[in-house]
Amino acid sequence: MHVHFAHGAAVVALAWAGLAWGAGPSASLGAVGGAGQQPSPEVDLRAFVSTYCAGCHNDRLRTGGLSLTDPALADPASHPELWEKVLHKVSTGQMPPPRQARPDPALLGRIVTNVTNTLDRNAELRSDPGRSGAHRLNRTEYGNAVRDLLGVTIDTSALLLQDEADDGFDNIASSLALSPAHLERYLTAAREISRLAVGDPSLGESTRSATYRVPRLLEQDVRLGDDLPFGSRGGLAVRHQFPLTGEYAFKIRLRRQVYDYIVGMGRAQDLDLRIDGKRVKRFRVGGEATGTPGPQTWNGEIVGDTPYELYLHAADAGLEVRAQVTAGVHVVSASFVDTPWEPEGVAQPLAVDFGRGSDEQFDGLAAVDALTVNGPYRGASAGDTASRRLIFSCGLGRRSLGEGGPAAAAEEARCARRILTRLARRAYRRPPTAEEMATLLGFYDAGAKARGFEAGVQSAIERMLVSFNFLFRIEREPAAAAGASYRVADLDLASRLSFFLWNSIPDETLLALAERNQLHEPAVLTQQVSRMLRDARASSLVTGFAGQWLGVRKAQGVLPDPNVFPEFDENLRRAFQRETTMFVESQIAADRSIVDLITADYSFVNERLAQHYGLRGVSGERFRRVTLSDGIRGGILGQGTVLMVTSYPDRTAPVVRGFWVLESLLGMPPPPPPPDIPDLKTVTEDGRPLSMRAQMERHRQSPACSVCHVRMDPLGFSLENFDAIGRWRQTSGGIPVDASSVFPDGTPIDGVAGLRAFIVKHQDSYIHTFVSKMLTYALGRQLDYRDQPAIRRIVRDAAASGHRWSAIVRGIALSTPFQMGRTAS
Amino acid sequence: MMITKKVLSRRTVLRSLGAAIPLPFLDAMVPALTALQRTAAQPRLRFGAVYVPNGVIPSQWFPSAEGTAFEMSPSLKPLERFRDRLLVVSGLDSVPPPPPGERQYNNHADASTRFLTDVTPSRSLRAGVSIDQILAKHVGQDTALPSLELALESVDSGSSCDFGRSCVYTGTISWAGPTSPLPMEHDPGAAFVRLFGDGTADAQARQARARQKSSILDSLRDEVGRLQASVSAPDRSRLSGYLESVRDVERRIQKAVAFNVEEPSFDRPAGIPDTFAQHARLMFDLQWLAYQGDVTRVVTFMMGREFSGRTYPEIGVPDAHHPISHHQRDPVRMEKCARINHYHVSLFAEFVEKLRTTPDGDGSLLDHVAIVYGAGMSEGNGHVPENLPILVVGGAGGRIAGGRHLKFTKGTPLANFHLSLLDRFGVRIDQHGNSTGPVSLD
Repeated sequence: MHVHFAHGAAVVALAWAGLAWGAGPSASLGAVGGAGQQPSPEVDLRAFVSTYCAGCHNDRLRTGGLSLTDPALADPASHPELWEKVLHKVSTGQMPPPRQARPDPALLGRIVTNVTNTLDRNAELRSDPGRSGAHRLNRTEYGNAVRDLLGVTIDTSALLLQDEADDGFDNIASSLALSPAHLERYLTAAREISRLAVGDPSLGESTRSATYRVPRLLEQDVRLGDDLPFGSRGGLAVRHQFPLTGEYAFKIRLRRQVYDYIVGMGRAQDLDLRIDGKRVKRFRVGGEATGTPGPQTWNGEIVGDTPYELYLHAADAGLEVRAQVTAGVHVVSASFVDTPWEPEGVAQPLAVDFGRGSDEQFDGLAAVDALTVNGPYRGASAGDTASRRLIFSCGLGRRSLGEGGPAAAAEEARCARRILTRLARRAYRRPPTAEEMATLLGFYDAGAKARGFEAGVQSAIERMLVSFNFLFRIEREPAAAAGASYRVADLDLASRLSFFLWNSIPDETLLALAERNQLHEPAVLTQQVSRMLRDARASSLVTGFAGQWLGVRKAQGVLPDPNVFPEFDENLRRAFQRETTMFVESQIAADRSIVDLITADYSFVNERLAQHYGLRGVSGERFRRVTLSDGIRGGILGQGTVLMVTSYPDRTAPVVRGFWVLESLLGMPPPPPPPDIPDLKTVTEDGRPLSMRAQMERHRQSPACSVCHVRMDPLGFSLENFDAIGRWRQTSGGIPVDASSVFPDGTPIDGVAGLRAFIVKHQDSYIHTFVSKMLTYALGRQLDYRDQPAIRRIVRDAAASGHRWSAIVRGIALSTPFQMGRTAS
Repeated sequence: MMITKKVLSRRTVLRSLGAAIPLPFLDAMVPALTALQRTAAQPRLRFGAVYVPNGVIPSQWFPSAEGTAFEMSPSLKPLERFRDRLLVVSGLDSVPPPPPGERQYNNHADASTRFLTDVTPSRSLRAGVSIDQILAKHVGQDTALPSLELALESVDSGSSCDFGRSCVYTGTISWAGPTSPLPMEHDPGAAFVRLFGDGTADAQARQARARQKSSILDSLRDEVGRLQASVSAPDRSRLSGYLESVRDVERRIQKAVAFNVEEPSFDRPAGIPDTFAQHARLMFDLQWLAYQGDVTRVVTFMMGREFSGRTYPEIGVPDAHHPISHHQRDPVRMEKCARINHYHVSLFAEFVEKLRTTPDGDGSLLDHVAIVYGAGMSEGNGHVPENLPILVVGGAGGRIAGGRHLKFTKGTPLANFHLSLLDRFGVRIDQHGNSTGPVSLD
């Protein structure tokens, strides 16, 4: 497929001569400007440039650092970088700028089609699939790989360093550096994981402790999740990896208020500790305070009677139970028994402000602050875990050192080789080399000599998990000329697919197909993509791709100003995140058009979110699908996640929202603001104060600002009916909200419905942007002009299906940048 | 081995932290037989850098008078008692040219990246080596850890990254090389493990663990060597970077064994404290402990990621920092920004106080540190990269005199100041970042 540059140029020249532009698909667009005959494409383009571009982009002015009058630059095929930029600006209507002469749509269409065709044809002749180089697994990928390889669940945020993102995603190769600090973490993690996986009995020698905390702003007045029993209230459920079968201690700490009094101790409440839903112990806590109470809020040095003080500080001291637990992952939960003290079904106002601050602290509901799991204690043993079944496939029982003699030792060594060959093949995503096996077996031998067979396997797994072959995706390049394109090896393709769709290592099916060299066959590949999308692991497309693109992950760290939004709490944040996640899941499951993300007339809410959105008839904590016919909430633009992450803590930020729509949905990010931003005028010339919108309108009058703000602001204003935590509002600060404005292309945009219509009208840009984002995520590298033809092709090919998710995913998997690599130059 | 000094459980103290009574590390918690006690007679020079995001309010920051007669400005007030150990610097610019073919933005990514490199970051991931890492190569080789990089915000904390630039740039100020940014640790527990190990109490087990780690690293070195033969040139150069990491960790383990650094038997900090102040104090405590135990002599610390949108309701600023740093000369917003600047300085001053009261050799720890405190832009409102707000705190072993406001000629490159700082640490290099030659710190 690769053509040498010198040849390529000749072929392109031929293509230019042979494929007259005017004879292309756009010939029927008809005559322009009254000219009787269609001009040749070169003449056509030159005339277009000189009429509509050269007024600013000439050698003298070089506006934006660009001149288009140089005849040497006139051929798009020879200057794809320049012309991709021009094409982008012109086809998205950003150029010519407002108030300049605009070409008539037919001419514009023809120019866009012709330049596009030239660039695409050129790209097919000289494919440049780009390269990302060695790719370190990010935290999510590492955690998933360990899960799929060894059946071990780990808290990656505790074990590994955070990853920095680029272009909106945390899997971009160039930003995934490796430092000594990373390596130290990997060494520690490998030891921990390998010991958990084999059930290393020495894990029982030192007491391990894990504490799970409940966010302070999580209200605990309702059932808080599917892992908690019906009829429960508050608390938490965690999936805890128990290293060994043995006895563990579970300790519950209750929530304190600001002066360290335990909250809600005014009456007795039942608190259950459960493992996998089965009750281990029911505690009764509260209602036993005696003596004169101390003041609930700060009141100088006044305190209550000693018994009262002691009780309020230590009522949870005995909330501890020991239980025998088998090794492996179990759901541990601590929650209260919900005993309503008011009639059910009567909506109570949310406790906010002073109420939350003090009134409920004694008389209200107790809440869980943290759950600690300590252990194992006493006679802990490996037990029968999914991990051990995955690893110890040869059926050798645990033997003590030297037992069974040399014959047994030889049998063990054979078994270890089988185990490690199988694990290394999956961990390294290819059959291990003889040298790599020798390394692993060396570690096995040393470990086995010291502490027996299983310790040997553990030691080899520990080594495997810090191998660069595991930690990095390094693709094999053919011995070819520098900068040559090549089809990636099937095994590398298997990894590309699995990291794209599962954020994890390939499974046996993918590896087997790759080893037989069949994976790249389009029919096989298409079938595999469909299979992978149906797999539960494909949820990473929601959490990894959409979660980052739509801000679900970012929403985790946003903290609205409690003075302005006292009703904001952790429950609401979780509801936002859950809504967006379930919504995207439903879109992928139904294989909808990606435009439906904008236009859908449904969403998922629970009672809290329904109240927040002003929807009636939803009660209870369960999230359910609701049809939305009001034109307000449908699609991502009406969802709290998007609306909150694009706001400031105390107010909305139309510029931020406008920027987000331009960058994330329409693919036209404005350049960064200039260093010296002129100040907003907060008052008129005669001293009258200006509204924010009026200030911004004045700001836009400055040409330096208007070039970007003229596009950002109308998009942002259209969402002004949503406040900074996504509530609908008609007024802001007592002034009616004006959510209408006009986009520079003349399109009026009124409110969120107007914005939806605007995006649908510009859905070519939206779809192109969506594909660019997903391709960035799929390849784990920054895209550039060389990738544009591939994006256009994916968009074109998916058009037949109406741009369904599956078609776009398939198109990416089949695309040149995904299937091919380029040798380093 | 008998270690008689009683070690107080960190957990006890952290429980107090949870109760909003922020206790510092107590002396009782420092285990006996740290490197310090063994070599107490020889004070060492330590370097620190403390970075604050989103610029400052210059009118509240810079003293108007030069020289020794300068007045303590409102933002610097908390440092008043350390005046003799405080060098206020003004007049430094950081406007290194952008990489070829790229535009000069002077945005947030530039501010943090230039602070210790004086290099403008590129669209593709590339900047320059930072002075802390140059020092780590020189003075850091004698300690168990060549350098320590800490922060208070993670990328997951909801903050954005600068327009179209990698989040790496706003998330670190430390660069081991032009393409080797160093991650900043924001989890106190993890930082603690970096400094003191994973808390394996039993000496024999610790030795066994060190042996196992060494043999893993040994074989990793072989593995990378083999890989290098089979990969492309750019991957090969990346692999040599990794090889460097392997060697670095190896050295560190050998040193830990050689120095017999006691891994403290108290519990490491669990989780990240609830409030900013508690978190900051804990991270400063770790730096204090690292200096005191001579575990490292080079520390960098970001009190916020550049572009940080953190809110500070505890000091009456519930607004996000970055948006209000574009204050448009609104006096209310400017006052709030100044309050944040003051707050950061006051938390830093608590750390400086701890250094001042900690004996070290013939004086105090404060006498033997030079901590560069500052921001990568002067006024956040206009992203102004000129006249950067920079302080040098500490006696630097008598090599940098405090009690002065040193005003450089307008247009002096930040890197010239970097060169001179390095020189005071005995590191003489001709060129760094955008430097044109050293300046006088006298």
